[in-house]
Amino acid sequence: MMANFSYAQKRFTISGTLKDLSTGETLIGATVRIKELPQTGTATNSYGFYSLSASAGEYTLLYTYIGYETISKKVSLQQSQTINISLSPKSELTEVVISANRPNNDNIASPQMGMEKLNMAQINNVPVLMGEKDVLKTISLMPGVKSAGEGNTGFYVRGGASDQNLILLDEATVYNASHLLGFFSTFNSDAIKDVSLYKGGMPAQYGGRLSSVLDIKMNDGNNQKFTAQGGLGLISSRLKVEGPIVKDKGSFMISARRTYIDMFLKLSSDSVLKGSSLYFYDINAKANYHFDDKNAIYVSGYFGKDVLGLKKIFGTDWGNATATVRFNHLFSNKLFSNTSLVYSNYNYTIQNFQSNDSYKATSKISDLNFKEDLQYTINDKHLLRFGLNVLHHTIAPGEISSPSTSSFNNKTTERRYGLENAIYAGDEWKVNDKLTVLYGLRLAGMFLLGPGTFKTYDAAGNALNATAYRSGQSVKNYVNLEPRLSASYTINEESSVKASYNRNTQNIHLLSNSTSSRPTDLYVMSSNNIKPEIADQFSAGYFRNFKENAYEFSAEIYYKKLQNQIDYKDGAQLIVNPDVESQLTYGDGRAYGMELFLKKKYGKFNGWVGYTLSKTERRFDAINNGSYYPARQDRTHDVSVVGIYKYNDRWTFSTAFIYGTGNAVSFPTGKYNVGGLTTYSYSERNGYRQPATHRLDLGATLESKKKGRFQSSWTFGIYNVYGYKDTFMITFRDSKTDPTKTEAVKTSIFAAPIPSVTWNFKF
Amino acid sequence: MKISKYSILLLMITWTLSACEKVIDLKLGNKAGDLVIEGNITDSNSQQLIKLSTNVPFTNTNTYPPVSGATVLLSDDQGNSYTLAENANTPGTYGVAPLAGVSGRSYKMTVVVNGKTHTATSNLPNAVKLDSVTSRVNEFEKKERDITVHYQDPMGLGNQYRFLMFVNDKQVKAVFALNDDFNDGKYVHADLDQNDIKIYPGDRLRVEMQCIDKPIYTYWLTLVQQQDSGPGGGVAPSNPPTNISPKTLGYFSAHTSQVVSVVVR
Repeated sequence: MMANFSYAQKRFTISGTLKDLSTGETLIGATVRIKELPQTGTATNSYGFYSLSASAGEYTLLYTYIGYETISKKVSLQQSQTINISLSPKSELTEVVISANRPNNDNIASPQMGMEKLNMAQINNVPVLMGEKDVLKTISLMPGVKSAGEGNTGFYVRGGASDQNLILLDEATVYNASHLLGFFSTFNSDAIKDVSLYKGGMPAQYGGRLSSVLDIKMNDGNNQKFTAQGGLGLISSRLKVEGPIVKDKGSFMISARRTYIDMFLKLSSDSVLKGSSLYFYDINAKANYHFDDKNAIYVSGYFGKDVLGLKKIFGTDWGNATATVRFNHLFSNKLFSNTSLVYSNYNYTIQNFQSNDSYKATSKISDLNFKEDLQYTINDKHLLRFGLNVLHHTIAPGEISSPSTSSFNNKTTERRYGLENAIYAGDEWKVNDKLTVLYGLRLAGMFLLGPGTFKTYDAAGNALNATAYRSGQSVKNYVNLEPRLSASYTINEESSVKASYNRNTQNIHLLSNSTSSRPTDLYVMSSNNIKPEIADQFSAGYFRNFKENAYEFSAEIYYKKLQNQIDYKDGAQLIVNPDVESQLTYGDGRAYGMELFLKKKYGKFNGWVGYTLSKTERRFDAINNGSYYPARQDRTHDVSVVGIYKYNDRWTFSTAFIYGTGNAVSFPTGKYNVGGLTTYSYSERNGYRQPATHRLDLGATLESKKKGRFQSSWTFGIYNVYGYKDTFMITFRDSKTDPTKTEAVKTSIFAAPIPSVTWNFKF
Repeated sequence: MKISKYSILLLMITWTLSACEKVIDLKLGNKAGDLVIEGNITDSNSQQLIKLSTNVPFTNTNTYPPVSGATVLLSDDQGNSYTLAENANTPGTYGVAPLAGVSGRSYKMTVVVNGKTHTATSNLPNAVKLDSVTSRVNEFEKKERDITVHYQDPMGLGNQYRFLMFVNDKQVKAVFALNDDFNDGKYVHADLDQNDIKIYPGDRLRVEMQCIDKPIYTYWLTLVQQQDSGPGGGVAPSNPPTNISPKTLGYFSAHTSQVVSVVVR
């Protein structure tokens, strides 16, 4: 009896990895619970690892993951043990029957808020332009996230700018997430396993951008058998091959994609168009090897390029490259470590071939990043995450080279070097049955380094002084402490309230004085002129599930304060300008809003409805007499509806509808004549609205009957079903019909329904 | 640097099938009746004109009410000063009998309207010679011609230029502003890109080259950046930075002027 009692006091740890039974892919964010102790549970981390502790006893462990059969496992816990589990994907039939396994209520209990986790199956079913499944397009259907406009992959989160999103692909920063000037994203959904978007309540392990973190994880590759899948579409084709290196221990995956829009150009009778190129391609590759239960290595990479050229006249290309090596090590069944070495590069080249003004301009940003992340399960009350990050930036802002016969000079701007270092710690603390708190601190330092000559400018943009620094010499340091806090209070099994506060800072800034981003935009670091951007966000929310967690509802409100925001002086010249920092002005901003979200995750019919009511404003001394004005991306109302209906084993239908207030823009309030030309006068910045935007898309997938291993499907889509002529831009000009008058002209692209068809296969 | 132009062009080609343009009605504000000053002094021995008018609502016709009865003065840093008289036939236009501005001098304009004084200064830069104006076959439409200007940029940063182009005496609706950031000291061949008037062989072409000072360059460049409105958009439009104080619509520019006329081949 006594012995038993003392045993009961002793706590043991259960740890292990969760995988997909058929592919061996690790499962991210799967939950592990103890049936007998409803408050004891955890979720697997980015590598499928979990660890939880309980006192000795007989328990039933429940392993759940969306789209998979739940496994319950009896354990007799008398000592710490490792339990690796493989879950099998639900068959088509059982997916329909939702009552068999009761879905869990993680969204209620977790202290994390402002986070959306996208299910790849849903992304694959959401209808999209030209049939190119697109992670970023799907993300812009979430409340609080706004697409930068038709044909633009940029997005705005809770009023932030598009460069304030940290986009990570296997921990590597992706600087330009768009292909073809923004019509498609760089993420090939074939190669992607998991997508998480943090709009608020950023955990301490993330930092470096103000508004959001989009954390994308690539597939590891099937470690059970060789498979291939691909698709042939109207404008692109894809192919993925994966298989075991050593069965159960290691696997690889390689996935590639190329568009062939330029094939259509070849049909043109125009000789210039015929010889033009317009395409992109990208390759994702990954391999992993598990040495034993305690050690694993992952190597992954991405390479993508866009090529755009007019025969013998002009050519430009740009692309990202990333490489990540990660090493997982289990120091104990409570302490998980991941060490990463990450390389990331973005560059562009512009070439003019005409002899009189031929030139070649290049620009590049490259990062080398060392990260150490540790996760320590202290006990069933505390889960500690801590680590450090050393990130080295090299920015070559621009170089122009040209032959002597050209009108252009050779021109080079100095390279810039800097270190962004951070240490962080965050604890997920289950205070009691009701209250869970996630609190942490991130200490972020920016160290701008020589060599180079650094100028300081006054407000008018005149250089006050110029100082030369040696290689490695410190030019300017900024250290910021970023508190992160979020808490959830569970009212009952079906409802909770949450609140969070976080501060984020940003030391890499994208300079672009056009109204949206271009491949040729320029990156700069915080410097003696540019201060780190700072955002403070407060948010609160109410979370409620219905019908045994089949429906999830949330209402979140947020208020965000932005400091040291960047704008541009009149006539700012940003390209290959050594004095580019003299062209900037600084101000602040604020954003607030409410997001309502109703989601049905399971069943024959699933999907979501999102609504956002928000306001986003900026303030600069030189604009609107220094008072707040709406940012271009300010969107009062935003609605998105996504519905996916599985009609039977073969047919799945889907629809997406969006509605949003038009962009805030400046329209003329009068006109006059200077230089012989009609010129427009303006009174306030962004005082007008473009017409509201809305669109309905439809999709359908037809699965063929399975023939042995070979499976195929057809995906049909119609983008902009009712052919709404959405506003791409509005311009003003002298009337074409009556030159004594002026007129406003609306340009629309994709102004008609655009059908698409893709054939997919898998074997 | 013609970076955006071609990418926009390409994009437009790609999506031509589904893109469309439509004239729309917009409810626009009406902030009219503001003074507009357009002052020029050039190095050619001719009447130097300063025009005063007011702006009108967007929906009005393109005629601008002249502002009469103003006191208009012009002076330079050598102590010369002139009073400009309102032209009896064209109200709102104030002129002074033939007078040539001199390179290197700073000119000051003073305009008094309804008791309110508006002043601006502008430096008249050294002249740079417009060597020639040539045409070449348009890459897309073989019958059309593109126009190139040729000049030797003097060594040393800080040369700014503005061009005006007339086809069969009709002004091309585009602002052309160039500087020597990328071609200091070079023999420059610059295309005057525009899509207002299609130019064909046989057309009479007149090109005026002005050497302008930096604030005036920024004024015109701001208008250039706003007219670049393809995908990605131009910069957010606003009134260009005037050199007139207090802030007034328009500008005062002291510049050189050289006109070259050719028949397009």
